[in-house]
Amino acid sequence: MIEVQSISKHFGAQQVLRDLTFHAADGQITALLGANGAGKTSCLRIITGLLRADSGTVRVGKIDVAAQPLAVRRQLGVVGDREGLYERLTVKEYLTLFARMQGLTGERLRQSLDEVRGALELEDLWLRRTRGFSQGERMKVSLARALVHRPQHLILDEPTRGLDVLAARLLRRTLLRLRNEGTAILFSSHVMSEVLELSDRVLVMAEGRVVGAGGPQALMREAHCDNLEDAFVSLAYGSQREQVEGEPA
Amino acid sequence: MKRIKAMLHGPMGALLQKELLETWRDRRALWMAICFSLLFPVMLAGGSIFMLKKHTEESTRLALLGADFAPLLADRLRSDSLQVDALEEGEPQTLLAGDYDLVLEVSEGFAGDYRNFEAPPLYLYIDSSASSSGRAERHLQERLGALQQLVVQQRVTARGLAPQLLAPWRLEVRDVSTPSRRGAMLLAAVPGLLILTLFVASLATSVDTSAGERERLSLETLLMQPLPGWQVVVAKTLAVASIGWVGALLAIAALVSLMPLMPLAELGIQQATTTAGVVTMGLLLLPLALLVAVVQILLALRSQSFKDAQTQLSILQVAPVMLLMVLDVSRVELEGFHWQLVPLVGQQQWLKTLLIGEPVPVLSLLAGSCVTLLLVAVAVRIGAGALRRENLLSAT
Repeated sequence: MIEVQSISKHFGAQQVLRDLTFHAADGQITALLGANGAGKTSCLRIITGLLRADSGTVRVGKIDVAAQPLAVRRQLGVVGDREGLYERLTVKEYLTLFARMQGLTGERLRQSLDEVRGALELEDLWLRRTRGFSQGERMKVSLARALVHRPQHLILDEPTRGLDVLAARLLRRTLLRLRNEGTAILFSSHVMSEVLELSDRVLVMAEGRVVGAGGPQALMREAHCDNLEDAFVSLAYGSQREQVEGEPA
Repeated sequence: MKRIKAMLHGPMGALLQKELLETWRDRRALWMAICFSLLFPVMLAGGSIFMLKKHTEESTRLALLGADFAPLLADRLRSDSLQVDALEEGEPQTLLAGDYDLVLEVSEGFAGDYRNFEAPPLYLYIDSSASSSGRAERHLQERLGALQQLVVQQRVTARGLAPQLLAPWRLEVRDVSTPSRRGAMLLAAVPGLLILTLFVASLATSVDTSAGERERLSLETLLMQPLPGWQVVVAKTLAVASIGWVGALLAIAALVSLMPLMPLAELGIQQATTTAGVVTMGLLLLPLALLVAVVQILLALRSQSFKDAQTQLSILQVAPVMLLMVLDVSRVELEGFHWQLVPLVGQQQWLKTLLIGEPVPVLSLLAGSCVTLLLVAVAVRIGAGALRRENLLSAT
């Protein structure tokens, strides 16, 4: 489980996260839904230990990220907002080296590589260098890198951005399989259809805090809307409007 | 040792392998390293051949106008290095614009005035805008001076005086420089150029592995792996240093290979570099290659963008050469032990010593290399801190 407890974060004078609290349970897909600038990427970077929260705690599998960032990274698979590929390495080399960086060796390494190659249909790409790959191919390799050490927790930052239909389908199928195997999956998105189709739980973020949480159907009911987009607008911008209106003149 | 072996077989080894593969497959960086490494030895060989050509072409061509008025003068002036052509007539300006370095005109009444001890004039025409005019003029002045002294001696002897009365001493110039020292003069630029090779050969790789990775966001992926920051910096440093060091080794190899083709003997230079000296040159550059690599990575990580990093590192590569030049020009005594502890200065001094075939003091070599490695360790620590900087990530 990923537990985020009361974290705040400033960049200079700008506060991007305000007392943010939520959790992403094992065997569930949790979506962070928010507009650009809502704080989704900063939140995910704090969970991975790339950024430090000004206050609050983050635990991944009960390990404190601030205290033991390296231990946390062994439990995490991360697909960032860019794929982070190395164009002069073949897919096989790339995945082998990142699996070894995660401590995999010998038979376990070979098995893991075989697994991700089959699961993500990488056979045709296996011995090719990643230069010139399509967006879908890049995403598949990046996802394979995040999964090669079989992490208990998976974090994805806008994973379907720029993907074609087939690649998006493969990604969805993979995430649902991992969810069923008990992996805690947390992903950020602002694509309503993707959130609706994939997520068990949605966290609506606005101005650095969670303004709504629950299953997609529950959120729609809470916002008295018949689609997730209207519910999101009502929850995200409604609270902002109330806040602005509530301020003294 | 066991610990290092275990580290290289574990995650750190994978990281190092990744960095090395990335570095050595970067054709652009490799091409740049090879080109510069081979360029300066080739230029040095060409330079020595040019010097020899200049050396052999040092004979002065003199046009002597009015030679009939002083029949013996042309013969007395003529030597291996002074070619004298007696011409009946000619325009000095035209002759100087042609093949002649100097034009000497004998006046019509020269013979009569000479006999009457009336110091007849000789007119020397020079073209001071020509590059060879100064050397040619000095050359002729020396010959005329010697001839004048001879005439004076003959005249005083004819009057019963000892010629020694007019020459209270005799100056003889003796060159005490050894062939290896003369070699050092010609090869003085080599240490600086070898050090410059380290900077130039590793420049493209250091920018790519730091600012480039940051711009492509692959650095973020790397930092999300369970590896401490210092291991990331060490792996990158080793990869970048490998290309810089191999570049310098290539330059040394090219230099040593080209030396037999250079006309060093004709220039009075004995090739004094030994095999052991060449191996030592390669080894002593290794700590410096690491320092150059880590400093380049640090600067590139601090830069705003890939282009900014390229600009900063281009300036950096000129800095050491400028520093060494300033120290040379300011005539600072660099041979003291404390100077050999200073990175760049120490390596330059040791390379100079090895190039002239003299042994390097082992203690100063070891101590200086340790100081350089200590600075590498400090820079790695700073680099690990830089990797924790939040503004290293792109859009936060």
